[in-house]
This record gives sequence, C-alpha cells and structure tokens, in this order.
Amino acid sequence: MTLPLAAVGVVENALVQVVKSLIIFAVVLQIVPLILLLERKLLGRFQARIGPNRVGKFGLLQPLADVVKLASKEQSTPATAVPWMMALAPVISIVTAVATLAIIPFGDVHNDPLFGAQWGLYGVDVSIGVLYAFAFGALAFYGLMLGGWASGSKYSFLGSMRSAAQLISYEIALGLSLLGVVMMAGSLSLTEIVRAQGAAGDGIWYVVPQFVGFVIFLIAGFAETNRPPFDLPEAEAEIVSGYNTEFGGMRFGSFFMAEYINMIVISGIAVAAFLGGWHGPGPAILDPLWVVLKMFLFIVLFIWIRATLPRLRYDQLMSFGWKILLPLATVNVLVTAILVVVI
Amino acid sequence: MLFEQVLFFVAAAGAIAGALGVVMIQNPFYSVLALVGHLVALALLFLLLRAEFLAAAQLVVYAGAVMVLYVFVVAYIGGADEPLSPEGGAIARLGPLFALALLLELTIAVGGSELAALESAPGTAAPGFGSPAQIGALLLSKFLIPFEAASFLLLVAAVGAVVLARRRRGLEEAGAEGATQVAREVREPAEPATVAGASGEAR
Repeated sequence: MTLPLAAVGVVENALVQVVKSLIIFAVVLQIVPLILLLERKLLGRFQARIGPNRVGKFGLLQPLADVVKLASKEQSTPATAVPWMMALAPVISIVTAVATLAIIPFGDVHNDPLFGAQWGLYGVDVSIGVLYAFAFGALAFYGLMLGGWASGSKYSFLGSMRSAAQLISYEIALGLSLLGVVMMAGSLSLTEIVRAQGAAGDGIWYVVPQFVGFVIFLIAGFAETNRPPFDLPEAEAEIVSGYNTEFGGMRFGSFFMAEYINMIVISGIAVAAFLGGWHGPGPAILDPLWVVLKMFLFIVLFIWIRATLPRLRYDQLMSFGWKILLPLATVNVLVTAILVVVI
Repeated sequence: MLFEQVLFFVAAAGAIAGALGVVMIQNPFYSVLALVGHLVALALLFLLLRAEFLAAAQLVVYAGAVMVLYVFVVAYIGGADEPLSPEGGAIARLGPLFALALLLELTIAVGGSELAALESAPGTAAPGFGSPAQIGALLLSKFLIPFEAASFLLLVAAVGAVVLARRRRGLEEAGAEGATQVAREVREPAEPATVAGASGEAR
C-alpha cells in the first residue's frame, strides 16, 4: 500500500523516497546561505559598493558568520506577546516552505541500476501538482499572521495584516497565470508539464506561447514571496520589519530562511512551468544542472529587482493586483482555453 | 499500513479537538484558529481517502482564502477582552438541549443503518481516483446541472456582496474609487497623502 500523495506515476521504494527528501532538504539548506551571500555581494555591486569581503576569502565565510551569530542570539519575548505562538509561527513558515520543495522536478524518471527500480529526480510527483504548492502557500500565511499577532506589537500586527491582504490579492493571479500552462500541457503535475515542453510534447518552452502568463506569474510570485518591490509586510522604513520585528535569534532566522526557500520554490515552479524544466542541450545526466542554472537566473532576477525598484504604496499594490493583474490573468486563461480547443 | 492508521487517528483527534475548540474557546481569535486546525485535519482525512484534489481544494479555499478573511477580521475587531456572548439568556440554556436532541437523532440514524461497511474489507481505489481530471470530467458530465447551479449561486452571492458594499459606501461622501474594501480597511489613517480619496479631494 502506498502512502497518500505518493500513489501517482512511478511507484518508488519508501527508502528511495526518504533518501530523496533528505538530499533535497540538505542541498537546499546549504544553498540558502549562499544565496544570501550572493544577494549581499550583488546588492553591493549594484549600489557601487564592494559588499561583504572581511570574513574569509572574498567574504565567502560571511554566511557562516551570520548563521553562528543568529544561532547564538537570545530569544526575547515582549511582555505583551503570546510566547507559545511566537515559537509556533516560524515553524509554520519553515515547514510550509520546505514542504513545497518536494514537487520541483530536477529531472525525468530514470532506471536505477542499483535497486533495479525506477525513480524520478523530484520529491513527489503528485497528481494535484501545482495545487500542492498552492495548498502549502495558503498555509504559509499563518506563519506570518500568527507571528505578527503573537508579538503583541503594533508594527508587527500591521505587517501581518498587510501580508494577509497581499497574499489573498496575489494568490488568485498566481493561480490563474499557471492555468494557461496547465491547459496547454493537459496536466497539473509539474513533471508532466516539463515533459510536454520537450520533444515528445509541444516541443516549445511555454514562456513563448504563454508569455503573458509568465509575466503575471513572475509579478505575483514576487508578491507571494514578500520580495521587493512587494515587501510591504516587512517594510523597514515604515513598520520596522513588520511581522518579524520582535523575533530574535534563530526564530528570526527561520522566517528569513523561509523567505529564501520560497524564492527557490517560486523559481523552481517558474523553471518547470515556463522555461522547459530539465530540457537543455547535452546528455540526460546534465538535466539537474540545467534546472539549477535556470533557477539561478531567477534568483539573480529577484535580487536585481530588489536593487532596482522602489517599494509600492499600499493602495497601488491593491489596485495593481485586483485591477490589472487579475483581469489580465483571466483574459489570458480565456484566450488560451479558446486556442487550445480550436487548434 | 500502520503509518496510515496513526495518521488517521492523529487527523481524527485533531478534527474533533478543533471542532470542540471552535465552540468552547471564549477568545474569538483562538476560536478561529481552532477552526483552521479543524479544516487542516479534515484535509488530512481527505488525503487518507485518496481524495487528493479535495484535500488541496480544502486547504486552498477554506484554510487559505475563507479563513484568512476570518482571521483578518477577528484580529482587527475581535478583542481578547470581549467575550463572544454575554452570560445567561434563554438561548444559552436551550442550546445544550437542542444539541443533545441532535446527537440522539444522529446516533439513532447512524446506528439504524448498521454501518454495514464497517465489517467489510477496505476497498481499493481505482487508478486515477480523486484526480483532478476525473473530478473535472464528472463535474462537466454527470453533475453538470448541480455544478452550474452552485456556480450561479456563488455568482449571485458575489454580486449581492458588491451591491451591499456599494450601498454602504454611498453613505460616506468621499467616493474613494479604486481601492478595494480590504485596502480601505488597512490604510493607516495617519497617512492622508497615500489615500486615493483624500488626495482626490485635495485636488
């Protein structure tokens, strides 16, 4: 008997699944500090500075110093706070972020010479596909919300309220933007979507026929990850970091890490849905490399945008989401549906 | 198999605890959170029944959209120092009576059916059972009319909500066009320069 969510596509050994999840988790956990360093280095260059260069050669050990600093800091709790909820909120954030990593495909199904079975280069290939990501994305809101509410501070509360409104507004556009791709591929599963972009399917990366969807997905993705220019929940200048103001040490570190993992997840979904996933020149063994390379491009874009654009005003954020992105995404879905049926 | 059983009992206990929490906790914020916990536990039960699409829909729609609004509103206006209902009252006394009557009725109804399925071996789900494709096909063939009726009902509700919100807005004089209701709630009053309506008046 297979477990829920694992009963689709290639049935794998339970041990293989455990090993896979451990590898994905370990690798991503190592990548997050590197992205952090990359971000600080790039931001430095964008702003005509050098960036961190004191710890280790070229500042390479800076993330290590940051982690040690965060881990050794004291957890403080304000008198007005709800302590157990302050402990719970970062956990929700990090769990939902890590769980979503499971559906990002790094390669196709391969025959295993060791165990004589098949396994795919992804965590799980669920039949509900991207809906899985949206389900956890929906739960991720509670991490921010509870964090802000439990802090018992006005700024934190305002930050979590902003994140609530922002998440509701942009999640719809995010879902609709992927619907075009889903209709073209005829499947919700990210691996099937990637396969449909290969020679066996349409043979074209969906960024070309679904360019509008791609742009909407990117913008809504920025909003979903609370990255600039949509970082109103943690706007430092107005509400001093918003929902995470009162968090110290690794609790803050968890929120921080969850944001970067969410960045990786959005990049991964964008790569799989629009940029052809593991497809690229070279033998099949290079597949994961292509995925990582394409994800790297998105990460750099995230950082680049942060250095380029100013933060939106709150009413701009709302009217942009509801009045421009949502109608555009709806029209995109409608046109795609007609074209898919006609052609 | 054992893992599934453990999961089932965890989810079932979570669902019951959440449902009890909703009605028994005095603080409205915790009460809403208990409802969220209940819905998540229900989604887990759906997963165990191989209804993956339903589980995801449960999380996205209920835990993700509906409950977010609940939490949003309760966090704003439901203070912890205001209990949900005043003490006493006829309803408070009659409530348990009706609940007991309902429980008895349900017990008789369920017991009367003898729960024949409990004795039989668990069935196996066909491949693709509960998948989005299958549910979509069912919705557009077998259940087309109920599906369309439900969507029409939702449309009516949405239009009704807009009409009601419009009417209330007519009472205020500033026609703050543009921002949605949510945005209007959230805007900080201390920043008149950012409010679309205020800036429109100034011009």
